[in-house]
Amino acid sequence: MRWFGFGFNAFGQIYDHDKLSKSEKIGTDEDVKVSSPLELTTGTDCCSKSVRIKASWSRRASLHLGGESCLCLAGFGAVTSTESSGALIKHSRGCTDVYISESYLTLAFPDRVEAWDLQKEEKTPSWSEEIRSQSETSGPPLSLPLVSGGYIAMKPPLYRSLSPHLKAKSLALSAAHAILLTASGAVFTWGLGSHGQLGHGGLTSEEEPRVVEALWGMSMTSVAAGGWHSVCISDGGDLYVWGWNESGQLGLPSRGLRKALQQQESAGASYQHTGKTTADEQQEGEKNEEVFISIQAFPALLDVTPSCEVKTVSCGSRHTAAVTTSGNLYTWGWGDYGQLGHKNLVSSDEPLCVEFFKEKQMCVVDVVCGAWNTFAAVVKKEVKIKS
Amino acid sequence: MAALWTKISAVLPPSEEQFPLQFSDKVESSVVEMLRRSRQQLYVHTTKNSQILNAQIILDFSWEKLNMGTWRDVDKEWRRVYSYGCLFKAAALCQEDPSAEEILLAVKTCDMGLLMGAAIMEDILQVIVRILQGEVRKSAKEEKEREYPQVKRSKFEPPRVPVIKEEQAVPRIRCPSLESFNTNYLLPLRPVILEGIIDHWPALNQRPWSIEYLRSVAGCRTVPVEVGSRYTDEEWSQTLLTVNEYIDRYIEHKDGGKAVGYLAQHQLFDQIPELKEDIRLPDYCCLGEGEEDNITVNAWFGPGGTVSPLHQDPQQNFLAQVVGSKYIRLYSPEDSDKLYPHQSQLLHNTSQVEVENPDMDRFPKFAATPYLDCVLKPGEVLFIPVKHWHYVRSLELSFSVSFWWS
Repeated sequence: MRWFGFGFNAFGQIYDHDKLSKSEKIGTDEDVKVSSPLELTTGTDCCSKSVRIKASWSRRASLHLGGESCLCLAGFGAVTSTESSGALIKHSRGCTDVYISESYLTLAFPDRVEAWDLQKEEKTPSWSEEIRSQSETSGPPLSLPLVSGGYIAMKPPLYRSLSPHLKAKSLALSAAHAILLTASGAVFTWGLGSHGQLGHGGLTSEEEPRVVEALWGMSMTSVAAGGWHSVCISDGGDLYVWGWNESGQLGLPSRGLRKALQQQESAGASYQHTGKTTADEQQEGEKNEEVFISIQAFPALLDVTPSCEVKTVSCGSRHTAAVTTSGNLYTWGWGDYGQLGHKNLVSSDEPLCVEFFKEKQMCVVDVVCGAWNTFAAVVKKEVKIKS
Repeated sequence: MAALWTKISAVLPPSEEQFPLQFSDKVESSVVEMLRRSRQQLYVHTTKNSQILNAQIILDFSWEKLNMGTWRDVDKEWRRVYSYGCLFKAAALCQEDPSAEEILLAVKTCDMGLLMGAAIMEDILQVIVRILQGEVRKSAKEEKEREYPQVKRSKFEPPRVPVIKEEQAVPRIRCPSLESFNTNYLLPLRPVILEGIIDHWPALNQRPWSIEYLRSVAGCRTVPVEVGSRYTDEEWSQTLLTVNEYIDRYIEHKDGGKAVGYLAQHQLFDQIPELKEDIRLPDYCCLGEGEEDNITVNAWFGPGGTVSPLHQDPQQNFLAQVVGSKYIRLYSPEDSDKLYPHQSQLLHNTSQVEVENPDMDRFPKFAATPYLDCVLKPGEVLFIPVKHWHYVRSLELSFSVSFWWS
């Protein structure tokens, strides 16, 4: 399994551009905005077949699973303070899961969970708790940020409890809202609702988990959370989106995005276009009486491609990335930092296939987004030869 | 143009060491690192492009924080970070012989910091925008001398002026003493039109406000504009435009469009101090209990036909008319139940009734409810007592200044 990354790289979290270590400290446009997928070099001596990646705004955590699993951190602070991050890495030996936010790094071990404050260089975690052995609890192991009895939040109090009645299966968090998938396939949301990201049809916030009634009766298999939007996949491979669409992150027509593209054009920026001029698009929009959506307060079904099932989805701050069962990667939303991977810095309000992987005969099997970047796991496509 | 950068760097700290960058723990160290890089770039030679790139990263990240939650929830620290981003971006744009477009973009950037950020380094964005406006005016003068643009005269349509019946007209009084105003109007909370009290304003004398004057003083400045007939409409939205763009599109209708745009409820005089010099705080405000600093002064500039739906405010209001005229109707807070306010939290201070076209079936009690009304003209000031319901429609191009005090 190989990992590729594209998008925001100002801290070297995709690749460490040389200039970082020199006094200039800031790279060129191309260094900071990686617009075409670049393979990640593991840079460690452990050669592990399975790597799990999580990313925040300024960092990337790579968990190498295997006999002696270990964690590598790239990005802000990885180069400069080698002592403490070194200590962290040593300490991470044997960890089974990782979760990273801008302020905290959470590690799950067989017997305990620890949360480390990334702002401070401390020798001990800010929070830790022993967990009961898995044999006592039924069901598959929980992935972070879920822990037994609750979850680890992005800011203190770190540990938040969840009612056992919910039967939490997986949890997606943004800085201000949360989406929970239960064992029965239901979706609950809570937190900030100002941009429709809770999916209850309004703009009010919720303090406690509330079921998304619009999805009642359908079984969901995974959930993802962006800065102000939410996404989930049904067991049939359909994608449901809701929340803010200012940057096209929902994959629905976005006025905010068209406006931004117009402004970029008039400023004479040398961006590549999708082939249409905005004048054409405006005319088209008027002809079809295009309805723009800036906030989608109820879940909406999104057509990624007519005949494909979505397998995995992940969200950045203002973009979304989805992997289909046929091994293609689609991205849409904010693209200013190259996080859509289409060899340009253009945002998109409709799902576009990342051609790079198709061209290289690579089959995308997983995707994970940082705030402004995207990481994709690929395997070589099996070429079926007719006998 | 190299002179511009000299002027800008003259108002910046002389060295990196003397440039303050202090933030609370809320601002993550990765963000502080970006800010430090930008600061360093001001004093060590770096390309304009990489400076703008770095500043944009700071702006994009803090913009996300500013949009997380309601405006009240936003930590002031993130507004400060946003302002620093604007500072670094504007400074970068002004280097290496900036073009006219770059200077205008620098003005816009400073305005974004003034509108959405929080004051930093003794309001340095205000200082810089003043320098930049000087440059813009210089080159605008040169252009005017070269070509004289044709000003399209819009077809003059006489406004639909309502007839004011004497028995329900707002009473008028000329230059009352503080005591007489206090006794007869403020304490009993009675609306009144004060005549003669703003005759001394430069806006009505030495520097009379007009479209041309506003363009020259504030043309390149970015302001918030409300688009749509009224704020209770579904189609209503807010956007940011320069004053020139606003006048072109919504006052002179150069694009041929008919949409209504209103530069409403904006603290323009904090943003553009030159305009503050043209107005004065009404003396009668001293009768209140609040501090002078707590008086909110708003500008209301728009074409004929702008409508503020019937609503009430939690403070006393002096509405001063400078240019054009407005039809205003007032209802007493005692009759609130007959005015059918919206139920929602957001709009509970706004009536559901369209005052000049009420739905009699949905709002039966409205028609018989007593009111006072008037046509407010230049030089007149309307006293709207606290919580008094008011409806405003501009009859022609209009510029008003409101003072909210307690």
